[in-house]
Amino acid sequence: MLVAAGALTVVFPFVWIALTSLKTPPEIQRVPLQLLPDHWSNLENYREVFRRAPFSRFLLNSALLATVSAASSLVVSALAGYGFAKFRFPGHTVFFFAIIGILMVPFQSVVVPLYLWVSRLGLLDTYLGILAPDLVSVFGVFLMRQAIEVVPDDYIAAARIDGCGEWGIFWRVVLPAVTPALATLAIIKFMWTWNEFFWPLVVVNSPSMKTVTMGLIGFTNMYFIEYNLVTAAAVVSVLPILLIFVILQKWVVQAAVMTGLKG
Amino acid sequence: MDRQRRAGFLFVLPAVAYFTCVYFVPLVESLIGSFYRTLPGGASRFMGFGLYERVFTDPVFWNSVRNTIKLLALSVPSTVALALAVALGLDRLTLRWRSLWAAMYFVPFAVSLVAAALIWQWLYDPVHGVLNHALVLVGLPPQKWLQSLNQVLPSLAAVNVWVRLGFDTMIFLAALQAIPGEYYEAAAIDGASASQQLWRVTLPLLNPQVVMVCILELIFNFKIFDQIYATTQGGPAGASQTIIPLLYDTAFKYFRLGEASVMAVFVFVVLLAVTLLQWRIFRRPVDY
Repeated sequence: MLVAAGALTVVFPFVWIALTSLKTPPEIQRVPLQLLPDHWSNLENYREVFRRAPFSRFLLNSALLATVSAASSLVVSALAGYGFAKFRFPGHTVFFFAIIGILMVPFQSVVVPLYLWVSRLGLLDTYLGILAPDLVSVFGVFLMRQAIEVVPDDYIAAARIDGCGEWGIFWRVVLPAVTPALATLAIIKFMWTWNEFFWPLVVVNSPSMKTVTMGLIGFTNMYFIEYNLVTAAAVVSVLPILLIFVILQKWVVQAAVMTGLKG
Repeated sequence: MDRQRRAGFLFVLPAVAYFTCVYFVPLVESLIGSFYRTLPGGASRFMGFGLYERVFTDPVFWNSVRNTIKLLALSVPSTVALALAVALGLDRLTLRWRSLWAAMYFVPFAVSLVAAALIWQWLYDPVHGVLNHALVLVGLPPQKWLQSLNQVLPSLAAVNVWVRLGFDTMIFLAALQAIPGEYYEAAAIDGASASQQLWRVTLPLLNPQVVMVCILELIFNFKIFDQIYATTQGGPAGASQTIIPLLYDTAFKYFRLGEASVMAVFVFVVLLAVTLLQWRIFRRPVDY
């Protein structure tokens, strides 16, 4: 019972902003508090959000950045995961622990030099500049190494005996065996980049390059906040990622089940 | 054999090169940068430990450190305790109900921190917010929440608890389900009551996960930025100014890059210490 009450409490803020986003300012300010909007079909706040700011451009930017960062981290992480899991070479251990060690480095510790580099290379306010620190994540390398480690060595040896090159083994034997882990990484990386805020705030100047999180913040200021618009913008920014999360959650669960089965 | 070694090296090369450019080189540059003051026009002057002295004697810096510690103290224990309670509750349910309720707890985790903070700012609104409406309804005086000197940090801590609860619950739940049922049967045969089973069997077995989640929460709350930037901007009167927002302001509002680098080194050293502590307490065997 308590668990259910807690779960409903956790979900309540989402319900509340969805309701607020359908109300007019007078409805919001009504005393006593009015729970439901007068007209369920009142989408005026949403129209106003897209009128005031190029919100569709923000959505497009975020979708593009998140897709590219998911794709690039899939490729690089899978390659590195395979290299670390199935090969021995000089520097193997040092490289691996150096990369895992990055988990200890907060991004804010490197942000100033990174900003100076991006600015020197003329990448401020460009997609590449926004993506620079998000192309690969340590988590991805670690996840792929763990997943590839349990692919039986015999499969790889058999392919090698059949005359398959290293590259062919990677594409035709290793990758198909770790599809669930790839899906998990893609979903999580997409989500992270979509929700990223600190770095875009540092490198983006022009409105046309802004991401959804930056666009969302454009609807607030310290003195006066139109909550009917903020909540509508919040719903727009949150909905795509929630849909992806809910629809693809089974992939994440499936990955957990499969790795669990393999012990 | 040599061909294979080279192949392995080439497979990891893109990742190694990338992390060198994006993390290792900038980290060294941060360290070097903390000894130089950038002058107008782009020239820089060597300051020795001068900038460290300036930052570490600045009351604004210590105020932000104090606020960060207060936030940690408020939010880490409550997140961990709540997540444990929820996981224990979920563990008793049948599979179908368990996955439904667990999914609901997990939803805030998918949302950006900016959106989370703005959602709560609306709930906290002193005039029209639903929380004050609820307080008045039960006969309590309305509160100022994010606009009050004393309530701003607890209010932000509550947002962090809301965001992280589902994630921590998932970790605890997975660990709970891995505990073999025989342990409880054995405890029951020995005449252990339900509360004895909880304190003597379940919690000791969960210890590694509790330590891990504590460290993860410590790091998450230590790095708080988005939520503060989106709502209070460090206010009122610096009462919610924590370390990362201060670093951001120093670097990108006042362009004092040297001082910002000192703070970057400080943040790195603190988190390094915390992580090493974690590895001492909770050493995972890594086979390679």
